[in-house]
Amino acid sequence: MSTQVPLSISEDTIHTISEERGEPEWLLERRLEAFRALEELDLPDVIQTPGRRWTNLEDLAFEEFVDPLDQRDETERVTAEGAEVLPFTDALDEHEELVRERFGSVVDPETNYLTALSAALFTTGTVIHVPDGVDAEDVKIRAEMNSGSLFSHTLVVAGSNASATILERVSNGEDTPADGDDRRYFSNVVEVATDENSYVQYGSLQNLDEDVYTYSLKRGDAARYATISWIEGNLGSRLTRSDIETELDGDSSETKIVGAFFGHDDQHFDVNARVWHNGEHTTADLVTRGVLDDEARSVYEGVQDVGREAWDTSSYQRENTLMLSDESEADASPKLIIHNHDTEASHSATVGQVDREDLFYMTSRSIPPRTARNMLVEGFFVPVLEEVEVDELRDDIQELIAQRLD
Amino acid sequence: MSSDQDHLKQTDTEDRFDFKKEEKSAFRSEKGLNEETIRAISEDKDEPEWMLERRLRALEQYHAMPMPTDWPGQPDLSEIDVDEIVPYIRPDVDTRGGVDDWTELPDEIKDTFDKLGIPEAEKNALSGVGAQYESEVVYQNMQERWEEKGVVFCNMDEAVREHEELVREHFMTTCVPPSDNKFAALHGAVWSGGSFVYVPEDTTVDMPVQAYFRMNSEGMGQFEHTLIIAEENSEVHYIEGCSAPKYSAFNLHSGGVEVFVGEDAHVQYSTVQNWSKNTYNLNTKRALAEKGGRMEWISGSMGSKATMLYPSTILKGRGASDNHITIAFAGEGQNIDTGAKVYHNAPNTKSTIESKSISKDGGRTNYRGLVHIADGAEDSSTAVECDALMFDNESTSDTMPYMEINESKVDVAHEATVGKIGDEDVFYLQSRGLDDDDAKQMIVSGFIEPITEELPIEYAVELNRLVELEMEGSLG
Repeated sequence: MSTQVPLSISEDTIHTISEERGEPEWLLERRLEAFRALEELDLPDVIQTPGRRWTNLEDLAFEEFVDPLDQRDETERVTAEGAEVLPFTDALDEHEELVRERFGSVVDPETNYLTALSAALFTTGTVIHVPDGVDAEDVKIRAEMNSGSLFSHTLVVAGSNASATILERVSNGEDTPADGDDRRYFSNVVEVATDENSYVQYGSLQNLDEDVYTYSLKRGDAARYATISWIEGNLGSRLTRSDIETELDGDSSETKIVGAFFGHDDQHFDVNARVWHNGEHTTADLVTRGVLDDEARSVYEGVQDVGREAWDTSSYQRENTLMLSDESEADASPKLIIHNHDTEASHSATVGQVDREDLFYMTSRSIPPRTARNMLVEGFFVPVLEEVEVDELRDDIQELIAQRLD
Repeated sequence: MSSDQDHLKQTDTEDRFDFKKEEKSAFRSEKGLNEETIRAISEDKDEPEWMLERRLRALEQYHAMPMPTDWPGQPDLSEIDVDEIVPYIRPDVDTRGGVDDWTELPDEIKDTFDKLGIPEAEKNALSGVGAQYESEVVYQNMQERWEEKGVVFCNMDEAVREHEELVREHFMTTCVPPSDNKFAALHGAVWSGGSFVYVPEDTTVDMPVQAYFRMNSEGMGQFEHTLIIAEENSEVHYIEGCSAPKYSAFNLHSGGVEVFVGEDAHVQYSTVQNWSKNTYNLNTKRALAEKGGRMEWISGSMGSKATMLYPSTILKGRGASDNHITIAFAGEGQNIDTGAKVYHNAPNTKSTIESKSISKDGGRTNYRGLVHIADGAEDSSTAVECDALMFDNESTSDTMPYMEINESKVDVAHEATVGKIGDEDVFYLQSRGLDDDDAKQMIVSGFIEPITEELPIEYAVELNRLVELEMEGSLG
């Protein structure tokens, strides 16, 4: 079953976008290839069990609220010494060869319908280039979405022995879309390419308005001795489909995927973490914690795939969900796929409520019940927050959680 | 252990579990699956009209339903050709009502069971044997005191005639309807043989009820149906075991098991299966548990080319509980896809799932399970634990649990581990004088102990022997 191409988009649309940005011919070609592939591609896979589809992506009627020629954003970029943090168009002027080589090398535009749509239509994004041996700390991207739909593509290229900590924040600006449509779409594709012995931490905090549907795919390829560490905080949006993936191709490469989400009202989070162990001596650690209040719903899939040649693999996954309301729902499916016996792997998932004894303990020491509950929820996120190396990101997440609890 | 002993052990087990009898059959339905076949089976069995109607309806559903092909990582079923499988065969002995005494059985059937150790089991405090040779139960031994208490244990064909109302109400209605999946529909159309167990209120059957199944006819399927009804406050433990010889033609086994656990009743269903390496084993097993009822599934899945089996329990009544203990062993060319399904549809329900798997020589094991907690099933809890042991780099071991939680006042936990046999453990045992094979054997026996300790001794011995046989000569 493939998906309909939005009526409002034609090859002319793609030409217009590409010309306005003064893009080279090869990029226009790639956009058109992605666009032509749309008819053949399906939406991202969604878990299905008897009588239940965990997320209904089919219901997204793109033509109703995607206007590719009206994409507006306000993006602030903070660079670090020795590294380059450029808007996509500037990067094409300054490093055309690098972008040409690396664009689409980690996330194939034809991965699924939504990635192809992104490759065809993106108008904003950032290229982060960290040359060999450079330490780039506190790179920041603050993206504000100011239109009914926005497609962003970010490319990170880390040279050998380079390191980078990157913090991305996604939210809505003051401008609401002109036609006052109550549904908006934000697409965010991030690819991280690494060379030997590099280190990349990519933290992301999504706090979009609660009428925005968002799809985000972040994938990194880890070279020999490289480490890719993802932090993913999801608090905003009406529906989030977020996929974080690492390919551990290089021997002795490592990855960490840390996720936090907090849903309330009728938010829906479809959060996925996937790791492929392909090289030898690779390590992965997946930690996700989420809280659900009101009628919010979360869906979690975590996949640890150990390839035939992935000798001496270590792979761990933990997912914990806390339910604050009886109306909320949480589905979880942690998966292990093991083709090499020289492996130490485990996964676990739990769902439960705030511990009554803990609450009793705190109330018996004169803390009001509501305050006690909020303290326990904040405490629940601590193991995730401890993994965040960028103070600003940690403080932001904490602050947003505290706001939501009030 | 000396090599002499090794040799003895090997011939003993191989001889016990792998032999082939020349088949003799009185009735063989035409190859192919159509209305005529179904009518012929039903007529031959003297079935009432309603059963024929149910079979025909199931056949329609079977033709209308798609093959399950879109499950992530599922076994390949494309080689199954149902038309090539003879759905119904009756051994060439007059066993319409079964026999009351072991000695009355024909020699060749007795011989088959001798090799499987059934008579020993019989001596070992067995209370009743219903043994299925091909598709019919040919032997039953019921203790009189059971009958006096109103306990019924008979073959399914007989139950259709003798206990018509009970069967009509419970047979593939609310528990496993034919529309559940394509193979449940196939089963509903061509089922034959199997056991019927009925335990009245407040009755405890204090000995395990056992049945032994065999497939002994090339290219034939077995579609036995087991129906267990345990009334309020009763208790019963049913055991089934399988050990099929190797054949070259494809075999399909598609059994159905339905268990009704009444209020405060307790049913344990144990099975050790060892299908031959060319059998597709696609079963549907399900239990419905009323208020306070307790269901236990104990299963060892060995052998077969591909197995897809997910015993499920629906916890309908407040305080009902469910335990699953499963072990799967996959060797060369085998794909064992098995797990458990539990639906918590009432408050205070509880379930535990403990799954162990071993994969070796390119075999694949997969745990696939679903735990669903419905809205309103408050104060429910579930704990799932999966452990997998892998012997080599050709093998695969997957874990795919699904949890759907619609209720906040719950306690849900799932954990899984995968690893190889610890070199340190092997070294420790070797340093105490065991050779490499025996050390590994011992570690594996320890690994599966949670399962074996739940089984009566002769089954535990058999399971350990089967695992030994699987491991022999291929370790180290």
